Amino acid sequence: MSDKVSLSLTINGAQHALTVAPERTLLDVLREELRMTGTRRGCDAGDCGACTVLVDGLPMLSCLSLPARLGGRDIRTIEGVESGGELHPVQRALVQHGAVQCGFCMSGIVLAAKALLARNPSPTLDEVRHALGSNVCRCSGYARVVEAIASVGGRP
Amino acid sequence: MRYAEPETVEEGLALLSTHDDARCLAGGASLVSRMNAGQVAPAMLVSLHRIDELATTTESAEGLWLGAMSIHRAVATEARLRGAMEVVRSAASQLAHPAIRNMATLGGSLCLADPKTELPAALVAASARVEVAGPAGRRSLPVEQLLVGAFQTSLGKGELLTRVFLPRGLGGAVGHHLRFSRVSADYPTVSVSLVLAMDGETCSHARVVLGSCGPVPLHVDAADAVLVGSRLEARDVAEAGRLLVQASAPLDDVRGSAEYRRMLIPRLLGRALSQARELAHV
Repeated sequence: MSDKVSLSLTINGAQHALTVAPERTLLDVLREELRMTGTRRGCDAGDCGACTVLVDGLPMLSCLSLPARLGGRDIRTIEGVESGGELHPVQRALVQHGAVQCGFCMSGIVLAAKALLARNPSPTLDEVRHALGSNVCRCSGYARVVEAIASVGGRP
Repeated sequence: MRYAEPETVEEGLALLSTHDDARCLAGGASLVSRMNAGQVAPAMLVSLHRIDELATTTESAEGLWLGAMSIHRAVATEARLRGAMEVVRSAASQLAHPAIRNMATLGGSLCLADPKTELPAALVAASARVEVAGPAGRRSLPVEQLLVGAFQTSLGKGELLTRVFLPRGLGGAVGHHLRFSRVSADYPTVSVSLVLAMDGETCSHARVVLGSCGPVPLHVDAADAVLVGSRLEARDVAEAGRLLVQASAPLDDVRGSAEYRRMLIPRLLGRALSQARELAHV
Protein backbone atom coordinates (compact mmCIF):
# COMPACT_ATOMS: atom_id res chain seq x y z
CA MET A 1 0.00 0.00 0.00
CA SER A 2 1.31 3.36 -0.97
CA ASP A 3 0.41 6.76 0.37
CA LYS A 4 -0.44 9.75 -1.76
CA VAL A 5 0.13 13.16 -0.32
CA SER A 6 -2.14 16.08 -1.14
CA LEU A 7 -0.45 19.43 -0.89
CA SER A 8 -0.45 22.99 -2.06
CA LEU A 9 2.81 24.44 -3.33
CA THR A 10 3.50 28.14 -3.83
CA ILE A 11 5.69 28.38 -6.91
CA ASN A 12 6.66 31.80 -8.27
CA GLY A 13 3.78 33.25 -6.30
CA ALA A 14 1.10 30.94 -7.74
CA GLN A 15 -0.65 28.17 -5.81
CA HIS A 16 -0.62 24.64 -7.21
CA ALA A 17 -2.77 21.89 -5.66
CA LEU A 18 -1.26 18.47 -6.25
CA THR A 19 -1.55 14.88 -5.13
CA VAL A 20 1.77 13.05 -5.38
CA ALA A 21 3.51 9.91 -4.22
CA PRO A 22 5.67 10.87 -1.20
CA GLU A 23 8.93 9.81 -2.82
CA ARG A 24 8.43 12.16 -5.79
CA THR A 25 10.92 14.99 -5.49
CA LEU A 26 10.23 18.66 -6.07
CA LEU A 27 12.26 18.32 -9.28
CA ASP A 28 9.99 15.49 -10.50
CA VAL A 29 6.92 17.55 -9.74
CA LEU A 30 8.25 20.73 -11.36
CA ARG A 31 9.32 19.02 -14.56
CA GLU A 32 6.78 16.23 -14.96
CA GLU A 33 3.60 17.43 -13.26
CA LEU A 34 3.84 21.18 -13.81
CA ARG A 35 5.94 21.11 -17.00
CA MET A 36 8.24 23.78 -15.64
CA THR A 37 11.28 22.36 -17.35
CA GLY A 38 13.59 25.33 -16.78
CA THR A 39 14.77 23.53 -13.62
CA ARG A 40 17.25 20.96 -14.93
CA ARG A 41 17.82 17.38 -13.90
CA GLY A 42 21.56 16.77 -13.80
CA CYS A 43 22.78 14.15 -11.36
CA ASP A 44 19.70 13.55 -9.14
CA ALA A 45 22.17 13.17 -6.28
CA GLY A 46 22.87 16.71 -5.06
CA ASP A 47 26.25 16.95 -6.74
CA CYS A 48 25.69 19.28 -9.70
CA GLY A 49 23.34 22.11 -8.67
CA ALA A 50 21.48 22.16 -12.01
CA CYS A 51 18.18 21.67 -10.15
CA THR A 52 18.71 24.56 -7.70
CA VAL A 53 15.58 26.47 -6.70
CA LEU A 54 15.04 29.09 -4.00
CA VAL A 55 12.96 28.16 -0.97
CA ASP A 56 12.14 31.19 1.16
CA GLY A 57 14.98 32.93 -0.65
CA LEU A 58 17.66 30.31 0.02
CA PRO A 59 19.15 27.99 -2.60
CA MET A 60 18.12 24.37 -2.19
CA LEU A 61 18.42 21.31 -4.39
CA SER A 62 15.02 20.33 -5.78
CA CYS A 63 16.24 16.80 -6.59
CA LEU A 64 16.71 16.16 -2.86
CA SER A 65 13.58 17.98 -1.64
CA LEU A 66 10.27 16.25 -1.07
CA PRO A 67 7.37 18.56 -1.95
CA ALA A 68 5.30 17.03 0.85
CA ARG A 69 7.49 19.09 3.22
CA LEU A 70 7.31 22.36 1.30
CA GLY A 71 3.67 23.38 1.75
CA GLY A 72 3.49 27.06 2.66
CA ARG A 73 7.07 27.77 1.64
CA ASP A 74 7.89 30.31 -1.08
CA ILE A 75 9.43 28.35 -3.97
CA ARG A 76 11.09 30.28 -6.80
CA THR A 77 12.28 28.68 -10.04
CA ILE A 78 14.06 30.10 -13.07
CA GLU A 79 10.66 30.74 -14.66
CA GLY A 80 9.97 33.28 -11.92
CA VAL A 81 13.19 35.24 -12.21
CA GLU A 82 12.28 37.55 -15.11
CA SER A 83 9.98 40.40 -14.27
CA GLY A 84 7.73 42.11 -16.82
CA GLY A 85 9.55 40.41 -19.69
CA GLU A 86 12.87 41.85 -18.53
CA LEU A 87 15.80 39.60 -17.72
CA HIS A 88 17.12 39.68 -14.17
CA PRO A 89 20.35 41.76 -13.86
CA VAL A 90 22.25 38.49 -13.25
CA GLN A 91 20.92 37.06 -16.49
CA ARG A 92 21.81 40.25 -18.41
CA ALA A 93 25.33 40.23 -16.99
CA LEU A 94 25.84 36.57 -17.92
CA VAL A 95 24.81 37.34 -21.50
CA GLN A 96 26.96 40.47 -21.69
CA HIS A 97 30.03 38.64 -20.40
CA GLY A 98 29.56 35.76 -22.83
CA ALA A 99 29.47 33.45 -19.83
CA VAL A 100 26.98 30.95 -21.22
CA GLN A 101 27.73 28.11 -23.59
CA CYS A 102 25.26 25.21 -23.56
CA GLY A 103 23.28 26.81 -20.75
CA PHE A 104 22.28 23.61 -18.96
CA CYS A 105 23.74 24.73 -15.62
CA MET A 106 22.49 28.29 -15.90
CA SER A 107 19.09 28.00 -14.18
CA GLY A 108 20.82 26.84 -11.05
CA ILE A 109 23.62 29.39 -11.31
CA VAL A 110 21.22 32.29 -11.85
CA LEU A 111 19.21 31.31 -8.75
CA ALA A 112 22.28 30.77 -6.58
CA ALA A 113 23.59 34.19 -7.71
CA LYS A 114 20.22 35.85 -7.10
CA ALA A 115 20.18 34.49 -3.54
CA LEU A 116 23.74 35.69 -2.96
CA LEU A 117 23.05 39.23 -4.24
CA ALA A 118 19.89 39.49 -2.13
CA ARG A 119 21.99 39.00 1.02
CA ASN A 120 25.21 40.55 -0.18
CA PRO A 121 24.64 43.16 -2.90
CA SER A 122 28.33 43.65 -3.67
CA PRO A 123 30.09 40.30 -3.33
CA THR A 124 33.78 39.78 -3.99
CA LEU A 125 34.92 37.29 -6.60
CA ASP A 126 35.74 34.88 -3.81
CA GLU A 127 32.30 35.25 -2.24
CA VAL A 128 30.75 34.53 -5.64
CA ARG A 129 32.90 31.42 -6.00
CA HIS A 130 31.80 30.15 -2.59
CA ALA A 131 28.14 30.85 -3.35
CA LEU A 132 28.46 28.80 -6.55
CA GLY A 133 30.09 25.90 -4.72
CA SER A 134 27.06 23.76 -5.49
CA ASN A 135 26.99 24.48 -9.22
CA VAL A 136 28.90 22.51 -11.80
CA CYS A 137 29.45 23.83 -15.34
CA ARG A 138 31.09 21.44 -17.79
CA CYS A 139 31.61 23.68 -20.81
CA SER A 140 32.69 27.25 -20.30
CA GLY A 141 34.63 27.07 -17.08
CA TYR A 142 33.77 29.48 -14.35
CA ALA A 143 35.86 32.62 -14.86
CA ARG A 144 33.36 34.59 -16.94
CA VAL A 145 30.43 33.32 -14.88
CA VAL A 146 32.03 34.55 -11.67
CA GLU A 147 33.07 37.87 -13.23
CA ALA A 148 29.60 38.44 -14.64
CA ILE A 149 27.91 37.87 -11.28
CA ALA A 150 30.40 40.05 -9.41
CA SER A 151 29.86 42.84 -11.97
CA VAL A 152 26.20 43.10 -10.95
CA GLY A 153 27.33 44.29 -7.55
CA GLY A 154 29.79 46.76 -9.05
CA ARG A 155 32.92 44.66 -8.60
CA PRO A 156 35.27 44.41 -11.58
CA MET B 1 5.79 3.86 0.27
CA ARG B 2 4.01 5.07 3.39
CA TYR B 3 4.70 8.59 4.59
CA ALA B 4 4.06 10.30 7.90
CA GLU B 5 4.79 13.64 9.54
CA PRO B 6 4.67 13.13 13.31
CA GLU B 7 4.52 16.21 15.53
CA THR B 8 6.15 14.77 18.64
CA VAL B 9 9.08 12.47 19.30
CA GLU B 10 6.71 9.95 20.89
CA GLU B 11 4.50 9.86 17.79
CA GLY B 12 7.62 9.41 15.70
CA LEU B 13 8.78 6.47 17.84
CA ALA B 14 5.35 4.86 17.59
CA LEU B 15 5.53 5.08 13.79
CA LEU B 16 9.06 3.65 13.72
CA SER B 17 7.89 0.72 15.83
CA THR B 18 4.97 -0.15 13.54
CA HIS B 19 7.06 -0.71 10.42
CA ASP B 20 10.06 -2.99 10.12
CA ASP B 21 11.51 -0.95 7.31
CA ALA B 22 10.78 2.59 8.48
CA ARG B 23 13.38 5.31 7.96
CA CYS B 24 13.62 8.76 9.49
CA LEU B 25 13.87 11.60 7.00
CA ALA B 26 15.85 14.57 8.34
CA GLY B 27 17.11 17.08 5.73
CA GLY B 28 16.97 14.59 2.87
CA ALA B 29 20.39 15.44 1.48
CA SER B 30 21.62 11.86 1.70
CA LEU B 31 18.50 9.72 2.06
CA VAL B 32 16.63 11.22 -0.91
CA SER B 33 19.78 10.97 -3.01
CA ARG B 34 20.00 7.25 -2.18
CA MET B 35 16.29 6.80 -2.88
CA ASN B 36 16.72 8.51 -6.28
CA ALA B 37 19.54 6.11 -7.09
CA GLY B 38 17.41 3.10 -6.14
CA GLN B 39 19.81 2.15 -3.35
CA VAL B 40 17.13 2.30 -0.65
CA ALA B 41 13.36 2.07 -0.80
CA PRO B 42 12.00 2.37 2.73
CA ALA B 43 8.51 0.98 3.25
CA MET B 44 7.80 3.90 5.55
CA LEU B 45 9.28 7.38 5.59
CA VAL B 46 8.94 9.28 8.85
CA SER B 47 9.63 12.95 8.18
CA LEU B 48 10.89 14.69 11.30
CA HIS B 49 10.39 18.30 10.14
CA ARG B 50 7.21 18.95 12.13
CA ILE B 51 8.65 17.93 15.49
CA ASP B 52 9.36 21.27 17.17
CA GLU B 53 11.49 19.70 19.88
CA LEU B 54 14.02 18.53 17.29
CA ALA B 55 14.51 22.05 15.96
CA THR B 56 15.00 23.67 19.36
CA THR B 57 18.24 25.08 20.75
CA THR B 58 18.46 25.41 24.54
CA GLU B 59 21.21 26.94 26.61
CA SER B 60 22.22 25.87 30.09
CA ALA B 61 25.02 26.82 32.44
CA GLU B 62 26.97 23.79 31.22
CA GLY B 63 26.56 24.32 27.50
CA LEU B 64 24.23 24.26 24.55
CA TRP B 65 21.72 21.64 23.37
CA LEU B 66 21.22 21.68 19.61
CA GLY B 67 18.16 19.95 18.17
CA ALA B 68 18.91 17.12 15.75
CA MET B 69 16.98 18.88 12.97
CA SER B 70 19.14 22.03 13.16
CA ILE B 71 20.33 22.70 9.63
CA HIS B 72 24.04 23.37 9.12
CA ARG B 73 23.29 26.98 8.22
CA ALA B 74 21.64 27.49 11.63
CA VAL B 75 24.58 25.88 13.44
CA ALA B 76 27.00 28.01 11.40
CA THR B 77 25.24 31.21 12.45
CA GLU B 78 24.60 30.26 16.12
CA ALA B 79 26.37 33.10 17.95
CA ARG B 80 26.29 31.22 21.28
CA LEU B 81 28.74 28.64 19.93
CA ARG B 82 31.83 30.34 21.32
CA GLY B 83 35.02 29.17 23.02
CA ALA B 84 35.52 25.41 22.76
CA MET B 85 32.09 25.02 21.11
CA GLU B 86 33.29 27.20 18.22
CA VAL B 87 34.84 24.10 16.63
CA VAL B 88 31.35 22.89 15.71
CA ARG B 89 30.20 26.27 14.42
CA SER B 90 33.34 26.55 12.33
CA ALA B 91 32.93 23.07 10.79
CA ALA B 92 29.25 23.69 9.99
CA SER B 93 30.12 26.96 8.26
CA GLN B 94 32.74 25.37 6.00
CA LEU B 95 31.32 22.00 5.04
CA ALA B 96 29.88 21.36 1.57
CA HIS B 97 28.22 24.42 -0.01
CA PRO B 98 25.30 26.78 0.65
CA ALA B 99 22.56 24.64 -0.92
CA ILE B 100 23.51 21.63 1.21
CA ARG B 101 24.00 23.77 4.33
CA ASN B 102 20.44 25.06 3.80
CA MET B 103 19.03 21.52 3.81
CA ALA B 104 21.23 19.03 5.64
CA THR B 105 20.93 18.63 9.41
CA LEU B 106 23.14 17.97 12.40
CA GLY B 107 21.26 14.77 13.29
CA GLY B 108 21.19 13.59 9.70
CA SER B 109 24.93 14.05 9.32
CA LEU B 110 25.61 12.19 12.57
CA CYS B 111 23.29 9.29 11.80
CA LEU B 112 24.71 8.94 8.28
CA ALA B 113 28.15 8.55 9.91
CA ASP B 114 29.95 9.18 6.63
CA PRO B 115 33.71 9.11 7.30
CA LYS B 116 34.26 11.64 4.48
CA THR B 117 32.34 14.40 6.18
CA GLU B 118 33.62 16.59 8.96
CA LEU B 119 30.85 17.50 11.37
CA PRO B 120 31.12 14.21 13.30
CA ALA B 121 34.84 14.86 13.88
CA ALA B 122 34.12 18.39 15.10
CA LEU B 123 31.53 17.01 17.53
CA VAL B 124 34.04 14.53 18.92
CA ALA B 125 36.53 17.38 19.36
CA ALA B 126 33.86 19.33 21.25
CA SER B 127 33.27 16.32 23.58
CA ALA B 128 29.64 16.33 22.48
CA ARG B 129 27.02 13.98 23.84
CA VAL B 130 23.92 12.87 21.99
CA GLU B 131 20.47 12.10 23.30
CA VAL B 132 18.69 9.14 21.77
CA ALA B 133 14.98 8.40 22.20
CA GLY B 134 13.67 4.88 21.79
CA PRO B 135 11.03 2.43 22.92
CA ALA B 136 12.75 2.15 26.33
CA GLY B 137 12.94 5.90 26.92
CA ARG B 138 15.80 8.31 26.45
CA ARG B 139 19.51 7.80 26.93
CA SER B 140 22.51 10.03 26.53
CA LEU B 141 25.92 8.90 25.33
CA PRO B 142 29.22 10.40 24.17
CA VAL B 143 29.17 10.98 20.42
CA GLU B 144 32.09 8.54 19.99
CA GLN B 145 29.81 5.76 21.22
CA LEU B 146 27.23 6.64 18.57
CA LEU B 147 29.75 6.47 15.72
CA VAL B 148 30.81 2.84 15.59
CA GLY B 149 31.93 2.44 11.98
CA ALA B 150 31.80 3.86 8.48
CA PHE B 151 28.11 4.57 7.86
CA GLN B 152 27.31 2.71 11.09
CA THR B 153 25.87 3.99 14.34
CA SER B 154 24.93 2.30 17.59
CA LEU B 155 21.30 3.40 17.20
CA GLY B 156 19.01 0.48 17.91
CA LYS B 157 15.89 -0.45 16.02
CA GLY B 158 13.16 2.11 16.51
CA GLU B 159 15.48 4.71 18.03
CA LEU B 160 16.01 8.26 16.86
CA LEU B 161 18.51 10.95 17.71
CA THR B 162 16.84 13.91 19.38
CA ARG B 163 19.55 16.42 20.27
CA VAL B 164 23.25 17.05 20.76
CA PHE B 165 24.85 18.57 23.84
CA LEU B 166 27.95 20.70 23.51
CA PRO B 167 29.70 21.39 26.82
CA ARG B 168 31.10 24.90 27.25
CA GLY B 169 34.53 23.47 27.95
CA LEU B 170 37.37 25.11 29.83
CA GLY B 171 37.33 28.87 30.21
CA GLY B 172 39.77 30.36 27.70
CA ALA B 173 39.69 27.30 25.44
CA VAL B 174 39.21 27.86 21.72
CA GLY B 175 37.71 25.57 19.14
CA HIS B 176 39.04 25.55 15.60
CA HIS B 177 38.31 23.58 12.46
CA LEU B 178 40.60 23.38 9.43
CA ARG B 179 39.79 21.45 6.28
CA PHE B 180 41.95 20.73 3.28
CA SER B 181 39.98 20.05 0.13
CA ARG B 182 40.58 20.24 -3.59
CA VAL B 183 37.89 22.91 -3.92
CA SER B 184 36.01 24.45 -1.04
CA ALA B 185 32.65 22.80 -1.78
CA ASP B 186 34.10 19.28 -1.94
CA TYR B 187 34.51 16.81 0.90
CA PRO B 188 37.73 17.44 2.78
CA THR B 189 40.73 15.30 1.93
CA VAL B 190 41.64 15.57 5.62
CA SER B 191 40.04 17.73 8.29
CA VAL B 192 41.40 18.73 11.69
CA SER B 193 39.02 19.69 14.50
CA LEU B 194 40.55 20.77 17.77
CA VAL B 195 39.98 22.41 21.11
CA LEU B 196 43.01 24.15 22.60
CA ALA B 197 43.76 26.11 25.76
CA MET B 198 47.00 27.95 26.43
CA ASP B 199 48.59 29.06 29.68
CA GLY B 200 50.94 31.74 28.41
CA GLU B 201 53.10 29.94 25.85
CA THR B 202 52.34 26.48 27.26
CA CYS B 203 49.50 24.31 26.03
CA SER B 204 47.25 23.49 28.98
CA HIS B 205 44.59 21.50 27.11
CA ALA B 206 44.36 19.89 23.69
CA ARG B 207 41.84 17.62 22.04
CA VAL B 208 42.61 16.90 18.39
CA VAL B 209 40.29 14.91 16.13
CA LEU B 210 40.82 14.08 12.45
CA GLY B 211 38.23 13.46 9.75
CA SER B 212 38.66 11.24 6.64
CA CYS B 213 41.43 9.34 8.42
CA GLY B 214 39.52 6.20 9.36
CA PRO B 215 36.05 4.72 9.56
CA VAL B 216 35.18 7.03 12.46
CA PRO B 217 36.65 10.34 13.64
CA LEU B 218 40.23 9.72 14.78
CA HIS B 219 41.07 10.76 18.33
CA VAL B 220 44.28 9.60 19.98
CA ASP B 221 44.70 10.36 23.69
CA ALA B 222 48.47 9.95 23.45
CA ALA B 223 48.69 12.64 20.76
CA ASP B 224 46.80 15.09 22.98
CA ALA B 225 49.10 14.15 25.87
CA VAL B 226 52.19 15.07 23.81
CA LEU B 227 50.78 18.54 23.18
CA VAL B 228 49.59 19.26 26.73
CA GLY B 229 52.40 20.79 28.77
CA SER B 230 54.45 21.52 25.66
CA ARG B 231 55.09 24.87 24.01
CA LEU B 232 53.71 23.46 20.73
CA GLU B 233 57.14 23.59 19.16
CA ALA B 234 57.84 21.87 15.86
CA ARG B 235 59.06 18.66 17.51
CA ASP B 236 55.96 18.45 19.73
CA VAL B 237 53.65 18.89 16.78
CA ALA B 238 55.66 16.37 14.74
CA GLU B 239 55.45 13.79 17.54
CA ALA B 240 51.67 14.29 17.96
CA GLY B 241 51.33 14.06 14.18
CA ARG B 242 53.38 10.85 14.13
CA LEU B 243 51.07 9.24 16.71
CA LEU B 244 47.99 10.29 14.74
CA VAL B 245 49.42 8.94 11.48
CA GLN B 246 50.30 5.66 13.22
CA ALA B 247 46.72 5.26 14.47
CA SER B 248 45.10 6.35 11.21
CA ALA B 249 43.57 4.23 8.49
CA PRO B 250 43.00 7.01 5.96
CA LEU B 251 40.52 6.79 3.15
CA ASP B 252 42.13 5.94 -0.18
CA ASP B 253 40.07 7.47 -2.94
CA VAL B 254 39.86 10.01 -5.72
CA ARG B 255 40.41 12.87 -3.25
CA GLY B 256 43.76 11.51 -2.18
CA SER B 257 45.59 8.25 -1.67
CA ALA B 258 45.99 6.95 1.86
CA GLU B 259 49.71 7.72 1.58
CA TYR B 260 49.00 11.31 0.56
CA ARG B 261 46.63 11.70 3.48
CA ARG B 262 49.25 10.35 5.88
CA MET B 263 51.63 13.03 4.62
CA LEU B 264 48.95 15.66 5.02
CA ILE B 265 48.08 14.85 8.66
CA PRO B 266 51.13 16.32 10.44
CA ARG B 267 51.27 19.36 8.17
CA LEU B 268 47.62 20.18 8.59
CA LEU B 269 47.88 19.59 12.33
CA GLY B 270 50.70 22.13 12.59
CA ARG B 271 48.75 24.70 10.64
CA ALA B 272 45.56 24.12 12.66
CA LEU B 273 47.43 24.39 15.96
CA SER B 274 49.16 27.64 15.03
CA GLN B 275 45.87 29.15 13.87
CA ALA B 276 44.12 28.03 17.08
CA ARG B 277 46.98 29.40 19.13
CA GLU B 278 46.50 32.82 17.53
CA LEU B 279 42.83 32.66 18.43
CA ALA B 280 43.65 31.66 22.02
CA HIS B 281 45.87 34.71 22.42
CA VAL B 282 43.36 37.25 21.10
